[in-house]
Amino acid sequence: MAVGTAPRTPAAPLAGALGTRLRRFTEIAREVLRNPTTLIGAALIVGMIGMAIFAPLLIEPNTPNPYQMPRDWGALNEPPGTPGHFLGTTQQGGDVLYGVIWGARTSLRLSIIVVSITVVIGLIVGSLAGFLGGKIDELLMRLVDVFLSIPELIFALAIAAVLGPSFGNIILALAAVFWVKYARIIRGQVIHIKQNEYVDAARVIGDSDLRIYMKDVLPNSITPVVVQATLDMGNVVLIGATLSFIGLAEAGLAEWGVLVSQGQAGISAGRWWASTFPGLMVFLWALAFNLVGDGLRDILDPRTESKR
Amino acid sequence: MTVAPAPEPAVGTAGTVASVVDLKVHFESKAGRVHAVDGVNFDIRDGETLGLVGETGCGKTVTARSFLRLVPMPPGIHAGGSVLFRPHVRCSHCSGSGCEECEGTGRQPVECTVCAGAGCAACDHSGFETIDLSHISERELRGIRGDRIAMIFQDPAKALNPALTVRDQIAEVFAQHRTSEVLERAALGTSRNPLLRRYVSQKSRLFEKALLAVPPLRSRRQRIEKVFDDMVAAALAETQIPNPSKVMQRYPHELSGGMKQRVMIAQALACNPDLLIADEPTTALDVTVQARIIELIKELKGVHKSAVLYISHDLSLVRRVCDRVAVMYAGRVVEIGPTEEIFANPLHPYTRGLIAAIPSRANDRGQLVAIRGTVPELIDPPPSCRFVQRCSFAVSICAQIDPELETGPDRHAVACFIHNPPEGAAEVPSFSKPTS
Amino acid sequence: MQIKDYVLRRMMVLPILIIGTSLIVFTLTRVGGSPVGIYLSHEMTPEEVAEIEQRYGLDQPLPVQYLTWAGGMLTGDWGWSGVAAAPVRQVFPDKLGATMELAVAAGIVAVALGIGLGTYGGARRDRLPDHLTRVFSISGAAMPIFWFGILLLIVFWVGLGWAPIGRSDADIFQSIAHPTGLYAIDAIIAVSWTAFVDAIWHLLLPAIALGFGTAAIITRMMRSSLVESMSEEYVDAARAKGLPEKLVLRRHARRNALIPTVTVIGLSFGFLLQGTVVVEIIFRWPGLGRWMADAVLRGDQATIMAYVMFTSVLFLLVNLAVDVMYAYLDRRVVLGT
Repeated sequence: MAVGTAPRTPAAPLAGALGTRLRRFTEIAREVLRNPTTLIGAALIVGMIGMAIFAPLLIEPNTPNPYQMPRDWGALNEPPGTPGHFLGTTQQGGDVLYGVIWGARTSLRLSIIVVSITVVIGLIVGSLAGFLGGKIDELLMRLVDVFLSIPELIFALAIAAVLGPSFGNIILALAAVFWVKYARIIRGQVIHIKQNEYVDAARVIGDSDLRIYMKDVLPNSITPVVVQATLDMGNVVLIGATLSFIGLAEAGLAEWGVLVSQGQAGISAGRWWASTFPGLMVFLWALAFNLVGDGLRDILDPRTESKR
Repeated sequence: MTVAPAPEPAVGTAGTVASVVDLKVHFESKAGRVHAVDGVNFDIRDGETLGLVGETGCGKTVTARSFLRLVPMPPGIHAGGSVLFRPHVRCSHCSGSGCEECEGTGRQPVECTVCAGAGCAACDHSGFETIDLSHISERELRGIRGDRIAMIFQDPAKALNPALTVRDQIAEVFAQHRTSEVLERAALGTSRNPLLRRYVSQKSRLFEKALLAVPPLRSRRQRIEKVFDDMVAAALAETQIPNPSKVMQRYPHELSGGMKQRVMIAQALACNPDLLIADEPTTALDVTVQARIIELIKELKGVHKSAVLYISHDLSLVRRVCDRVAVMYAGRVVEIGPTEEIFANPLHPYTRGLIAAIPSRANDRGQLVAIRGTVPELIDPPPSCRFVQRCSFAVSICAQIDPELETGPDRHAVACFIHNPPEGAAEVPSFSKPTS
Repeated sequence: MQIKDYVLRRMMVLPILIIGTSLIVFTLTRVGGSPVGIYLSHEMTPEEVAEIEQRYGLDQPLPVQYLTWAGGMLTGDWGWSGVAAAPVRQVFPDKLGATMELAVAAGIVAVALGIGLGTYGGARRDRLPDHLTRVFSISGAAMPIFWFGILLLIVFWVGLGWAPIGRSDADIFQSIAHPTGLYAIDAIIAVSWTAFVDAIWHLLLPAIALGFGTAAIITRMMRSSLVESMSEEYVDAARAKGLPEKLVLRRHARRNALIPTVTVIGLSFGFLLQGTVVVEIIFRWPGLGRWMADAVLRGDQATIMAYVMFTSVLFLLVNLAVDVMYAYLDRRVVLGT
């Protein structure tokens, strides 16, 4: 309690605010690690992101393009346990283990790009709608409603189809679909905060809108955005892999959905491994981010605590 | 199980409808074990209204809920003691209108099945059938809930199910406890058809309902529904709800707060219980409605002659409604006695504080008197008087020994060393010697 | 009265959303590829192409083109499907029947499983069954349908040889009438037990694959809203009336818990619809989804446009129905108390 009585120099409140935020962060981190389900999720995330980052160390990258599956034409359809091909090979002689490891890198790239683009778009659209209000708000929110009226996957599928089948276009398609939720969250926060008295108080003091935005709106929006972004890190890979499973990515790409799709042809002949392992990775990836995202939501939103 | 500090023998005197005997209900929490109710003793006599007063968190609601075992376990723990209940039947001498034999209550207790009235351990030496509510099976308990003991909850808006009509909610009570009566009134008393009996007691599954929706069973089902309608309307009419057969088709959210509480009361009194537990029945209501609901409870009590356990934190209210008052503090009953006696001659320093805190003309200088300090933490309390930290008369023994509730003259009991000093104590507290 | 107002208000938004969706779909198709493609079949001569361009006003400015296309959608001219080599409108009903059969079966699986498991787990909060249903609901939501479907095939089709793949093609289906296009129901109408069993047998795996994720979503919602309603005072009040625990659960807790669950069932219908694309590919099911996937890969724009329009309108209608149902179940929503 004595900490709170620091001298009221102009720097002190800022340092205090930083301090409380830092303390809150460590508190949240501790909560995440205390709950067994979120702990499992966090461990999986660390493991898979580690695998993505250290992929070149774990398995020799294919030249010239490491994101392309290597081909071992001497070893087609080998079962797991084959020397040199721990998880077996595909019909085209691709090493399943290579696909699993480099697929993690592909997925990490995909999810980080899509989530950061969508957060930025959502931030801009949501802030504009919330701050400007009136006609612009109405228009933007109708747009959001329209976007929400087409099921995610089908919308992304249509966009990717029009743009032409390539992994880059999958990224674009996902970005075009996933920004909507952030726009809603941010707009809700802006309007909520605009109604709060302390913003009026800030106005009276003479704070500019921008300052209010930086000081009140953004910090208060962080929590729901972080939760949504965590969940989306998983969902983006799930939907992205589905799109490439359907066939919208380049055929030789080291990507889990592509591998499952290629392996599918062999299952009637009993070659289960080429689909099973990459698919398992998609599942684990989505599961991990879902576990942590849900855990975060419960921790950050006291109202849902009783529901756990 | 420790026996209560000898309540006066029930046999021969006014009957006791329920006794709380050294009841202990604890809660497991992260910080430790909370002794929410920690050795509570009191009796409720036939036809009386007993007020249970105390501050928020003193354990009065937990005590009340323990009658019907509605305390969620876990986190609650039944840590000892029990609630004894003596079911009654209509008085055989006056058939319910009230006479000398039943002291005007219209009911009489049932002879103990174990000792045939001689008095044994099973019936707490009363000779009357005594049910240990804390230890009987769920099934037996269900038979008592809503039939012999009913409860009115604090906030009728929360205690009524928003998705069921008033009629459906009250009908449930009859469905559970008056199955045969419903069948008889529908002129189906002799029917051997299990479908109908299951329908009345709401056990029907989907396919049975389908069978009952087509002739020939359809007309019988409609007759049963009509009986339910009549019974519910009669129950509602008793609470002076205008136009009951209209009101009962409504959903709770379509009714005002006062109306909802009337519905709760109608539901509670539907089976003419021996004991009605009213847990702050007016706290959630508008002030203007409160008085009318209190009058209604008093009036219906006069008609039904049920005993009432009236829980409240409002002393002036309790004074208006109750025959006797038990004052609870920090999980204990600290004083119990006839209402007039308590108000005229409060024995416990806490009761004195409470009464002094009632705004009245005596302290009308715009000041409200407050008891200093706050309620102590109930986590693993030490063996001392619970009130010691807030008491103006506390001496050293008050912090060392736990005073017990001891009966004095005029059936007025108190748990305080001022009145019942322990033998050989070096220093004895006294109202004439304020210590702080 | 108020419910009617609410429904009217919701219905007034509907056309706006549909027009918005059609604008997006139209814009999308104009971004890539020649617009004339959607009306072309392969055997057309250049003269015929020019004639079609003129007929559909493709030499006109964009707004006119939009109106022509939208008018076509409304009047039943949905363009030419290159994949099916036939007009979209002509192939649509058959494929729709197959997809609806799958979606309905999966929906039944999902709702039954979801409400059942959610109630079972929620009523036993923090005990083993509850933990197990939570594992199910979390893993179900993260499960890639394409992988789960393949796992089912590996185990039950390749491994055990129990289940067939594809839609029932029993001879009997050639001989009976198809008034609904849903084989199982057609079989019932034709009173053919063998046909019915065969249809269900073929439906089983794809319906489970498709319903699994939705079941997980419903389970989760049902569990949490049941846990919430179990802690409501009216549940204690029901116990205080002497109701057995079974009735407390059925009449009081579950009834109220179902209300928020209904909205989730509506929302997860979209999840089910999009899942058909993947499930139909894996199980070789001749429905709309597989057609759409083929169309996407071969740039069959007419099919894509028709499919996206159809699914989103269906999705909107289902959600409208759910909202109305919700308002009916929980009148407090509308009355605002």
